[in-house]
Parts: sequence; structure tokens; C-alpha cells
Amino acid sequence: MRVKLKAGRDQRKFIKRIEELSGENVFACYQCGRCSAGCPVAPEMDLLPNQIIRLVQMGLDEEVLRSKTLFLCASCFTCESRCPKGIDMARVMEAVRHILDPKGKDAFGPGEIPPELAQELPQQVLVSIFRKFAK
Amino acid sequence: MKIHYYPGCTLKQKTTALDISTREAMKRLDVELVEPEGWSCCGAEYPLTEEKIVGLAAPIRILRQVRDEGGDVLVTTCSFCFAVLKRADKALRDDPLKRKRINAFLKDDIQIDPLTKERTTGFEDYAGEVKVLHLLEFLRDRVGYPRIRDRIQRDLKGLAIAPYYGCRMLRPQKEMEVDQPDAPRLFEDFLEAVGCSAVDYPFKQECCGSYLSVSLPAADTEASYRVLRSARMNGARAVAVTCPLCFYNMDHRQDAIKETYLDFPGIPVVFFTQILAWALGVDKAVLGLGEHRVPADGVFSDIPATEVRT
Amino acid sequence: MTAKPKTKEKRIGLFVCHCGVNIASVVDVEKVAQVLKDYPGVSFSADYVYMCSDPGQQMIIDTIKEKHLDGIIVAACSPTLHEKTFQEAARLAGLNPYQIEIANIREQDSWVHTDKDKATRKAVKIVKSHVAKALQNENLEPIKVDVNRRALVIGGGVSGLQAALDIADHGYEVILVEKNPSIGGKMIQLSETFPTLDCSQCILTPKMVEVSRHPRIKLLTYHEVDSISGFVGNFKVRIKKKPRYVDETLCNLCGECEKVCPQIVPDEFNMGLSFRKAIYLPFPQAIPGTYTLDAEHCLGLNPVRCGKCKDVCDKKAIDYDAKETIVEEEVGAVVVATGYDLYTMQALGEYGGEKYEDVVNGLEFERILSASGPTGGVIRRPSDGKVPQSVVFVQCSGSRDTEHHLPYCSKICCMYTAKHAMMYRHRVPDGQATVFYIDVRTGGKAFDEFYQRTVEEEKVLYIRGKVSKIFKEGDKLIVWGADTLTGKKVEIEADMVVLAMAMVKADGVQDLLKKLKISTDIHGFLAEAHPKLRPVESLNAGFYLAGCAHGPKDIPETVSQASAAAAKVGNLFAQKELSHEPTVVPVNDELCSGCGICLTMCPYTARTLDPSRGVVVVNEILCEGCGACAAACPSGAAQQRNQTDDQIFSMLRAMLRD
Repeated sequence: MRVKLKAGRDQRKFIKRIEELSGENVFACYQCGRCSAGCPVAPEMDLLPNQIIRLVQMGLDEEVLRSKTLFLCASCFTCESRCPKGIDMARVMEAVRHILDPKGKDAFGPGEIPPELAQELPQQVLVSIFRKFAK
Repeated sequence: MKIHYYPGCTLKQKTTALDISTREAMKRLDVELVEPEGWSCCGAEYPLTEEKIVGLAAPIRILRQVRDEGGDVLVTTCSFCFAVLKRADKALRDDPLKRKRINAFLKDDIQIDPLTKERTTGFEDYAGEVKVLHLLEFLRDRVGYPRIRDRIQRDLKGLAIAPYYGCRMLRPQKEMEVDQPDAPRLFEDFLEAVGCSAVDYPFKQECCGSYLSVSLPAADTEASYRVLRSARMNGARAVAVTCPLCFYNMDHRQDAIKETYLDFPGIPVVFFTQILAWALGVDKAVLGLGEHRVPADGVFSDIPATEVRT
Repeated sequence: MTAKPKTKEKRIGLFVCHCGVNIASVVDVEKVAQVLKDYPGVSFSADYVYMCSDPGQQMIIDTIKEKHLDGIIVAACSPTLHEKTFQEAARLAGLNPYQIEIANIREQDSWVHTDKDKATRKAVKIVKSHVAKALQNENLEPIKVDVNRRALVIGGGVSGLQAALDIADHGYEVILVEKNPSIGGKMIQLSETFPTLDCSQCILTPKMVEVSRHPRIKLLTYHEVDSISGFVGNFKVRIKKKPRYVDETLCNLCGECEKVCPQIVPDEFNMGLSFRKAIYLPFPQAIPGTYTLDAEHCLGLNPVRCGKCKDVCDKKAIDYDAKETIVEEEVGAVVVATGYDLYTMQALGEYGGEKYEDVVNGLEFERILSASGPTGGVIRRPSDGKVPQSVVFVQCSGSRDTEHHLPYCSKICCMYTAKHAMMYRHRVPDGQATVFYIDVRTGGKAFDEFYQRTVEEEKVLYIRGKVSKIFKEGDKLIVWGADTLTGKKVEIEADMVVLAMAMVKADGVQDLLKKLKISTDIHGFLAEAHPKLRPVESLNAGFYLAGCAHGPKDIPETVSQASAAAAKVGNLFAQKELSHEPTVVPVNDELCSGCGICLTMCPYTARTLDPSRGVVVVNEILCEGCGACAAACPSGAAQQRNQTDDQIFSMLRAMLRD
């Protein structure tokens, strides 16, 4: 796959927006991979957390926004607590989700929960998952 | 001692065990719990982007209510609520812009007068005046372990409990400021004060899977399984949690875990407040053990468990 | 001092430099020279493209002679760059070098402003102020100081040994102080050295022997430097001689004492992986070759409690009554070669540091590899002595971590990890070695080839990803990492883990460095005078740096640096006498009231109160001309030479006049 890196205004805008929303400097990441190494959900992800921030650094917004990883993050902050550069990867994930927000349908919405399950789930789960993954 | 207490919606509905055991335990410690008037759901998630700050409104109005009722401390047992409340409070203390916007947003919010119980509008801006404490911190710092030790009525010597911190209580360390994420002592010290022995195991703050139990059950099953397995391997009789979601993942879903990991015999999951209440002499019937899917009665037998598997 | 020329008749020459476009692109240098041509005091004014060049300097020399100038101003870059250049040019022309003024119109003007008009006017003001000062400058002569051609080297590791040998081979006497019972430092603990895989002890012991036998080296082991006073060329050193309780001249290393000693102590030479006795020989090739009695772990140095070692010593070398004594020496230069330590594993809680016996650091692994180590060179893991079938090596443990640990790279870990992995594969051919890395840094000679051998020939698996967590499950250590190159989260079950811990400042040396007032950087490493051009000198005159005390580096660099420091000492000692800048602050007895305020201001303890006369006296050799005392003196008795209060006010008036 050939990627033509455009260092154009759109890419810079995308990176700037992610940094604005997350409050993190994505260029501080030196791709050590520790976030991915400790992430409990990483084995299920199509792109590892470090790859997500790598794509942001490269301005490849389309690929990042397509990733399923964004909706597998449990916001457990293991990545944040171990990053040697102090980057809060969970915030970067949320920032990308935020940009995606207006674009599509719910990644995970109320319709996906069967009624019997909904009965027994603690409210906490419903509120948190919809806040994270529903539009 | 009178203290403001925030149970959170889940504790009133699906996980009453945590609420009941907390109340019973606090009674024994002469701590009166007062819930802020008209409290509502805290929102469960602290908004992680700089723009989605509307998520701060819910926790702030709870804190504001506590302040207006004359409280300067709010105690909670649920780690999710604890994280949201504490971080929201810190955000308003540190960021003047957020402070301005949230207070402006809540300007028309209905306020309940604590004395007359009348509903009024308009209140003084909230600027982070209330201190948010997890019950574990409250027990350590305000009640004190000596008072707990004095009131213990059951000798829990030999009961090996694996403390499970989960994610939200300790991380991010800079905002939660509770303990060192990779070498914490808060929960262990509590268990020892209560008379149990705290099991050291490497998964004590690894994520249980959180809300992924709904959207990606397989990942959640594996995450919870690893925690429980590690606790068991290191000799725990039971795993103690502080969060209804951790409880749901590791207790309610333990059947699902056993179906995937056929040679896992299981381990009971209890709330730290149940252990506290039990040690303080509270009757077994009032611990909410009926809500457990994995029977935990064995943990609370009159003779403390001496079976320690290594 | 020669008589100063009368102010009214002083003839000042002005040379305004373009500095290429550095100054000229912002300041109109021709205009500056033009405007000041007729300024009172200025007898000559010109501009030139590069004043520091040969023709530029020649221009100064020729003009001084032709125009009979008494003083010159070079309006150019900062004096830190070329003041000496122009002073030398003036001297060649027969003018006293202290009649040179450098007007900085680059760093203070063209480099910080963009408005050409205003910058040019500012340049004119700056030059005018220097004219005012120049008119009152006096001829000064440097202060001459004798130099004691003896050197002190602190530290007996490879850097200290090399520096001592080089200085001694120059023909000067050296005192080498080492706080441990033997010299050798960390290098003697290593098994093999990269990239040659030389046996470390085999290549170091010859140097150790040479030092011990060198006629000009006085070797003081089990000694510690307590304090150093004085100034460059004239230091007085107080050294504490710690009691060894064993006379090294009598001890014949028979070893009988060790056999009977009842006290067992973790052996620090073997990084705590084995034990020694309270009376011990640190390692077989220790120099000096003598036993040492460790008083801290001895039962009490009391024959009533235990006198076993003394009883069996037929050389009668053991003396429980030995006391700490003080040795005083006088030297002219000091080389600080105090070495390093490794970052504590306890700081890496998530790697199980200090918690799991089988998680070791690089030096522990060296001892395990060493033929003279606790396992006789067979790789066995500490907990149960099993030969590990899977070893994981974790690079960057504590280094390159701005958030929680140390921000810098420790330089040597990539190479020694490759070496460790290679050694492991040599000795356990069926074993699996895995290295977790972020980068592999192999900049030295033959280094990259060495690393490639490790990968290609030894089949060591290098995984690019920083380890998140290490914990024990049953018999194995579980390592959580990631392969960032294929995008996979990776889990490995290892029998043993080796952490490449960061290199940090040497333990227990901070107090000494503070006492010596040697500057260190924020990490506690010695600060060099200039990071590019003066890497072996300290800003404290007379102190030189060598080895890892200055910062993480490998053995080839350490040895180079030690020889360089020795060469610098040689430079110092080669001078007949030392010159000290005369721009010091003398005391005008008539104005001095003896209030003593200046004493508290002086960072060089150059000023003292003479109680008999009630005035302050200054040691001009210690005075560095910082001017703090002059600023504080309420009566004006303290006036800096060629920077008097009068001169400063003249400069201000000149600047503010128009």
C-alpha cells in the first residue's frame, strides 16, 4: 500500500485538532509501544494504541478514523500511567472519537443490547458505554 | 461524625449490597451518612476531551449541593463515581474557563434549599470547595484505623483477601492523587487494619474489562478471568472490590468466565465494605449476600477461613 | 603597572565588525563607524567585514602602530568569543591588552532586534559607552602564581587509573585516592567487554599493576578525600585514611583469617549474589593485595567478643586498635574520576525490581557471567540455580523516561545488552534470548557490526517495544511487551530477566562534590566547561573530569577522556607560572571601614578581615573579578580594576546623553 504523505493544511488541521481536543502533544510520542504492551484490550484491536497515535502524527486521518480500535478502548488509563513521555493515550483516543462523532452512527448504541441483558446490567455500564461510544 | 455520602445510582438499584454494607459498617463506627438532597447520576465517565465539558455539569451540581448543605467532604464507595467527582472537582479548581462555563451552564439549575427543602434557582459559583474522598481514604484519614481496630468484633485472622483496585481509583495518578499506581498500599493497609491478610498479586490494578462486558464480552471475560486467576493462584480466599462494574464483571459474569476457561474453579467476589461490616459485628443477613451470583457465604462463616492455597 | 596615559590625550581606535551578515544585516555598521569618527576620544574609526580574521587582526596591529593608539574598541560579537584574540593582537602591537574594549553589538543588538534604524542607534550608544570606559582604562599586568606540579586523582576505576598513569608518565607525581579497599572500579567487575569480548580483568589488571608499581604514583586505597582548599596550582587536600585493621605491608594473603571469621556479609563485589566474611579480600587480583576488616560487620574489633582472625594470623598483621587518620597533601591540579552507579531497581516497581530475585541488573548479570563470579561462570538464575532456558533483556530501564525516571539515554546499554545476549547464547546454545528495545544505539567503532552478529549469528530475537510489566507466575516471569513493527501485543514466559538499568551519578559522592564546589548538572553528573570544546575541564580552575562521573560513556571514551584530562593537567604543569586575570577587586584601605559586607558576598572566599588593621584584605589570586563585593560595598572601597564605579557611571552617561 502506497501512502502519499500530504503535509498539507488538512493534515495539519487534523493533528492540531487532535492536540486541541486531547490537550496532548502527539509529537512527544517516540513510539516505544509501552501503551500497547500494557493495554488489556490490545489483542482484540486492529490497530494498536501506539499505531493510532503514529497515524495521527503522520496526519493519516482517514485510516485512523476507520479503525475499530477506537471503540475497544476501556479508558483504563494503564497506557497513561506507564508512558515514559507522559502522554495520556486515553485522551488521544477520546479526541479521535470526538472528531468521528458527527460523522457516523453510534459505534455502540442502545439498540445493540438485548432487553433481558439490559434488565440486569448495572446503570453504571449503560451510562458509561453510551457516553463513550454512542453519538 | 456526620459526613456527606454519595452512593451513586447503581448502588440504589442493582448493587444494593455495597450501599447496605457501607451503611451498616458506618453505623458501627459512629459515622452518620447524609446523602445530598436531590442527587442525580454523576455521569459515570469524566469527559476526556477539552470540549465535551458538559459532562462536568452532573458531578458539579452534586458537589455544589454538598457545599450548600454545609459539607466540605464527600465520601463515595464506587470507584467510577469517585473518579468522576474527584476529577470534575479538580478541573473546576484548576481551570478558570471550565469553572466559568459550567457555573454559567448550571445557573438555571434547580437548587434544593437544605433547611426548607424548597426548590429555588441560582446559587453561588462552585469553585472546588468540596473534598472528594474514597471511603478507603476516609477510613484511613478521618476515622482512623485505631478506631476500626477498637470496634472489631470478629477475628478475621487467616482470611486471605485479594484487594482489587481496578483502574479508576488510582489512575491517572496526577489527578486522583490517591496512591502510587504500581505499588499502592491503601487497600492493603485497610484489610490489615480489619484483621485480614492482604494477598499480593500482580493483577490488582489491571483492568477487569470495564464496560466492554457489553460491547466486547470476549475481551472482558479474558480480562476478568486473568484477575481472578491471579488472585486465586496467590492464595486468596476471595477478591474484594470497590466498584459495582468490577463486581458485575467478576461475579455476575463468572459463569461466562467458567464456560470459556473450563478449568477455572471460581472464586468469590465481595465488597470491601462487606468485610468491614462483617468484622465490625454486623449480621450476615444484612450484608446483601443475596446479590452475589458466586456464593460468598463461605467467606463470611463464623469461623474465618483458614484454607490458604499457595 | 605602567603609568596610565592622560585621559584627555588618550587616542582610542574604533573597529566596527560586519561579522558577515550577522551584524551588518541589521546594524548599519558603516554608519556606526562614520558617526563615531569625530566622537571625543576617538582618533580612528573603521569598519571591516570580519575583524577576527587574519587581515582584520593585522588591521588592528598596523593601525595601533601607525596611529599611536592608546586603546581600542572592537564593536563585534560577545567578548567570550574573541576578547583574547584582540587582546593578543594588541599585545603584538605593543599595546597593553587591558586597553582593549569589546563592544557587543551582536548578541546584545543585531541578534535580538529587527528594526534596523533603532538597532543602529543602539549600536552607536553601546560603542559610546565603551569609549567612556576606555578613556579610563589602566594598563594591567596578569597576576603570576606558582604551580605545584603534583596531581590528585580522585577515583581508582579505569578513568582514574588511566589519568594517573598518563600524568605520572609525563614526569609528575600523582596521588591516587580510592575509597574502596582495592582499585579497579566497575570495570574489574565486568566479565567481557564489547566489542572485542576481551576479558575485562585481563585487560585492566595490567594497568592496575602498573599504577601500583609506578615510582611517581602514590596509591592511597581505602582513603577518602575530605576537603580541598586553595586555588589552581596551589591546592591543600585533606584525606581521611580509613582503618583497614590489617597492615597491608605484612598481609601475605594466606587466607586463614577469612576461614575462621564467623560473620557473613553479602558480597558487594558480586552484587549481593554471594557472601563474604567481615575480613575479606574483595577479589583475587585486588590491589593492594591485602585483606581488609570491615568494621561495620565485625563482631566488635574486640578480642573479648571475637579475636579469631587475629589469632590465626601468623604475620601478626591484624591490629584492632588502628584508627582513622588524616593525610594532608599539596597538589596543583585535581582530576575527578569518581565513576557511576546504576539506577535502583526498586524504582521500577512494575518490572518487579527488587521483588523478584530472577530480575537482575546488568552488573549482576556480569557477575553471573564471570568465571570468578558466584556461579563460576555458569549462567544460573539466583532463585534456584537453574540454568535459564529463556532470558529476556529489557533495554531503557529507567532511561529515556521524562515522565517517571531519567530523561537521558545511558549510552552503553544497547551494546552491553547485545553482549549479554551473545554471551548467553554462547553458553546456553538451546536457550532463547529476547531483547526488548526502542532503538539500538551502536555508534562506536565496530559496534554496529557486533550488534548485527548478535542478531544474525546468535539468532537473538530483537523486539521493538518497551516492556509494560513483568510479574511472576509460578516458576516463570511473565513479560508483557509489544512488537510495534508488526503491531502485536507480545507476552513472553522467561526464566530470568536482565534489566539494562540507567547509569546515574555515583552514590555517596554528592557531599564531596558540594564541598569541593565542583559544579554538577541537574542529574548530578560533573559539569564540563563547554559541552563541545572543553569536555574534560571544569569551570572551577584546576579541576578536570574523566569517566562516567561526567556522564554515561563506554570504556574507549572513558580512557580517551582520562588521557585528555591528563593532557590538560600537563598543559597546566608545563607553564612556568600561572597567570591570573588582573581584573580583580582590590581594597582601598583609606575608604574601608571594615564593615565586612563584602565578605559575605564573595563566592570564592577571597576576602578576609584583618583584625589588627580593621580593614578587609583580598587574596587577588582567589578573586575571580565577579564584582559582587564592589556592588555591595557601601563606601566604595571595593573598586574593580578597569570597571570602577566611575567608569560604569561614565558608560551610563554616554548611553543616556542623547
